[in-house]
Amino acid sequence: MAKVTRERRTPLWAWTIIVAATLFFALPILAMARFAFQRVPVALLGRDTLFDRWTLDGLIDMFQDPEFRPALWLSLRISTFTVLLTFAVILPTALWVNTRAARYRSLVETATMLPYVVPPIALVVGAGGAFRDLVPWFLRSDYCLVPFYAVLAMPFTYRTLDTGLRSIDLRTLIEASRSLGASMPRTLFRVVLPNIGTALSGATFLTITVVLGEFTIASLLLKPTLPLYMSYSQGRNPQGALGLAVILLGLTTLLFFAATRLRRRGRAQSRVTIGAIT
Amino acid sequence: MREAVSGTYLDSFLYTVKLSALSAFLGAVLGALLTAAVVRVERPTWARQAVSSFAGVAANLGGIPLAFAFLAALGTQGLVTKMLGWFGIDLIGAGFSISNFAGITVVYLYFQLPLMFLVSLPAFEGLRPTWRETAANLGASPARYWWNVGLPILTPALLGGFLLLFANAFSAYATAYALSSGGAKLIPVQIRFFLQGNTITGKDNLGYAMAAWMIIIMVCVMGLYLILRRRSEQWQR
Repeated sequence: MAKVTRERRTPLWAWTIIVAATLFFALPILAMARFAFQRVPVALLGRDTLFDRWTLDGLIDMFQDPEFRPALWLSLRISTFTVLLTFAVILPTALWVNTRAARYRSLVETATMLPYVVPPIALVVGAGGAFRDLVPWFLRSDYCLVPFYAVLAMPFTYRTLDTGLRSIDLRTLIEASRSLGASMPRTLFRVVLPNIGTALSGATFLTITVVLGEFTIASLLLKPTLPLYMSYSQGRNPQGALGLAVILLGLTTLLFFAATRLRRRGRAQSRVTIGAIT
Repeated sequence: MREAVSGTYLDSFLYTVKLSALSAFLGAVLGALLTAAVVRVERPTWARQAVSSFAGVAANLGGIPLAFAFLAALGTQGLVTKMLGWFGIDLIGAGFSISNFAGITVVYLYFQLPLMFLVSLPAFEGLRPTWRETAANLGASPARYWWNVGLPILTPALLGGFLLLFANAFSAYATAYALSSGGAKLIPVQIRFFLQGNTITGKDNLGYAMAAWMIIIMVCVMGLYLILRRRSEQWQR
């Protein structure tokens, strides 16, 4: 492909917008971080007290709280199962749309957008009403959140997987593998999945952020997940809860960044191989 | 079903729709501007990825952490309020409060803008630099380029983004709940009230009715969006 030389200068208006947006997004987080790690009231904050009394005590107290670990474990377990459920359901759907049923593509895409249309609170109202009478044990289990979260994450996960599948030459890969005598499962696990590894990791990270941030459904079904624990411990240990929020925010951003870096690299490689074929 | 849209509940519905529409409109316009700006930054290649990673996280942010971040920044004792005070700007005196309509709109923008960014980034990346150069070579000013080329191409994506933002704000609940003084009027908060509160008996169905109305409104918005999109795509071929 011929490289087009173009104007590389970023105009002034673009910088103005970027600086304004950075301030808008950074200041609330900085203010929250300051509250979490510095024990000086805002009223006393000035040039003299700016570097006084920074501490991690709130966070350390929180880690020692007996309720903290169960909440963290529950959220991590739910994340794991949600990721597994997503791969068990959404991945075959995306594969099916990309190989056999291209004409259902728009239908499936619309269906995956449904979680945006049905507000989570309406979802839990409907599902709660239905399950309470039919299968009461389901809502009592902590894992009943897993299907809800898989549905909530669906707009993100389906899109990521679909983009990944579209960027490789899926049909050719499957035909080549099948004609060399590989069974369908073998084709799936040895050929297709390794090729979309970066999309899989992207979908995984997206699912985890959804699970670690969801509050509405967990609070209505009274499940002690991490977001719920954070909101309840707010009263006892506000500094710890908000410190944890700041750290989670930073960590998930880093995870995302790592995932996109990986994805970029993967896409560049697949483009090279396809380019070599055609 | 009818009781859920009468009297105070009707007020709640109007309030929720107004808040969603305003925050979606501002989010769509400002978010599109932000995307247009970020697309023009090409030098460190990781910059755009860093921005979109943060946007992915911020778009999912909500609830207590977000509400508190804004209280710590823009509340009566907030950091930004104080900093503005040093420059002689009295934010609270000007009638701004984090829990009134304007305040909640500003807070909502914190997750609306990143979502708009994520939704419209592919569309903006699809605008070829060569189109702009061609327009410039043909003597079009940048404004004319945007009006006659850029915007018509982006319209479906921008409309879609606006709709998503509306839906997003419409069902957002944890943040408003945490800021509760103004949030108590929001429909999702009211549904929660009916589902959990045993204060009013014999009205369990009201919560279900409100949830049904929410879905009806969303279906209408979705239908409107599909019509609009068909119209705007008509000029694409």
